Amino acid sequence: MALKQLPIVPSGDPGGLAESANAGVQRINRPVISDATKIDPIVILFCPDGAISLDESGFVISYKFCKGCGICAKESEGIVMVPEYTGPKGIF
Amino acid sequence: MNKVLITGSEAAALGAKLAKIEVLSYYPITPAFPAMERLSKYIDDGELNCKFIRAESDHSALAAVLGGSLAGARSYTVTNSQGLLLMTEVVYHVAGLRQPIVMGVANRALSAPHSRFPEHGDVVSQSASGWIQLFCENNQDILDNTIQAFRIAEELRVPVMVNYEGYLQSHTLEEVFVPEQSKVDAFLPLKRQPALDINNPRGVNTVTSPDFYPYYKFNQNEAMLESLNLIPKVAAEYNQEFGANSCGLIECYQMEDAEHAIVAMGSIVGTARILVDNLRKEGRKIGLIKVKVWRPFPVKAILEALQNVSFVTVLDKNIVFGVGGALATDLKAAAYGRGEMVINGAILGLGGGKCGVEEINAAVMETESAGSDKNKSVWIGL
Ligand code: SF4
Repeated sequence: MALKQLPIVPSGDPGGLAESANAGVQRINRPVISDATKIDPIVILFCPDGAISLDESGFVISYKFCKGCGICAKESEGIVMVPEYTGPKGIF
Repeated sequence: MNKVLITGSEAAALGAKLAKIEVLSYYPITPAFPAMERLSKYIDDGELNCKFIRAESDHSALAAVLGGSLAGARSYTVTNSQGLLLMTEVVYHVAGLRQPIVMGVANRALSAPHSRFPEHGDVVSQSASGWIQLFCENNQDILDNTIQAFRIAEELRVPVMVNYEGYLQSHTLEEVFVPEQSKVDAFLPLKRQPALDINNPRGVNTVTSPDFYPYYKFNQNEAMLESLNLIPKVAAEYNQEFGANSCGLIECYQMEDAEHAIVAMGSIVGTARILVDNLRKEGRKIGLIKVKVWRPFPVKAILEALQNVSFVTVLDKNIVFGVGGALATDLKAAAYGRGEMVINGAILGLGGGKCGVEEINAAVMETESAGSDKNKSVWIGL
């Protein structure tokens, strides 16, 4: 078994809420920027996971940390939630 | 070495004092309280330089000790029964966060119905928690195991519970040899391993995804298993340093030619020794295995000791409802597919019930009359 290099004390880097390669495993919908010009910068503060940032290229959503709560899309125009899973639905 | 007459509670407190604990927190509960009282007095008298944190519950007490440990301090607490149950959430935090905390547990039966008497039910409830569990036969064991526990915990980063029974041990005076402070200092060098570092801040116990969680658990289990190698080494070194007589994982008594073995842990081991001596005088080939380490379960050591045995009587001062005694259950699982011995799990002494020589003898006789029932379980003394 190839063991991952982990700290002895389970812990994460500052700013990272979840120690995870991809927090997306818990996401049902993902936020997608539909029109960057309409985004209200306040969403950076609204995002509970600090997953939205603003750099020279504009707004960036980190899918590593985004848990898909949808708050950003609710609070601002220019972001829409799209389903992560688009396959067949029902009770399997 | 200095010889003193002290109770088990005092032995636990003295062990922690000799280990120079730096953070202590507890919530008063009987019968663990005298150990707490004694530690507080050491601090008050200036004999122990330790930060005592008052807590409003056992849950908070262990949480405070966990904080101390995360900051790199040698940390200790004592509790029993209901207090241990209230701590349970943090008990698992401590193990998962790999903090080398040592906890004395003055074993007491669990409510309901309410009881104040000795029994192992309280720590059996923590059997899956990831703490190493050491059991003590007498007050000397309590002192020796407490000192060794810090070594084991700090080397492997696995927390250790040192179990001694309420009243039978916590309140009973016995002769105890006390090692010199300077030698204990050399045996227990403090190596700080703080998880909290203001220059390199990290979030401790963050949400961990399925990508990582199983690996943390695998590592935790590996460290636990590694203790099976480390504990006998630490005991041997301790014996050499202090001229003590502390066993490694188990101790075999009169087992060389034994056909029948009694397997037990805690104070009842001392009583079983008397029965073994009595039966040996009658020419019966009976021996005793004292289990010092119950978690992790020393499968190899016990099976080796049982190699030539036909009958095994396991004494359990606990009951896992619908299953049986915890020690017997572990032993039966370990012995699966290995030989033809009869293993009788005897439940006795619950909630302070009688568990003297007579009761143990009754259990032994039940085992030998088992016939084809190789997987037996009986309640003694009802
Ligand atoms: S969906 Fe929630 S977590 Fe993801 S970016 Fe928007 S506000 Fe942040």
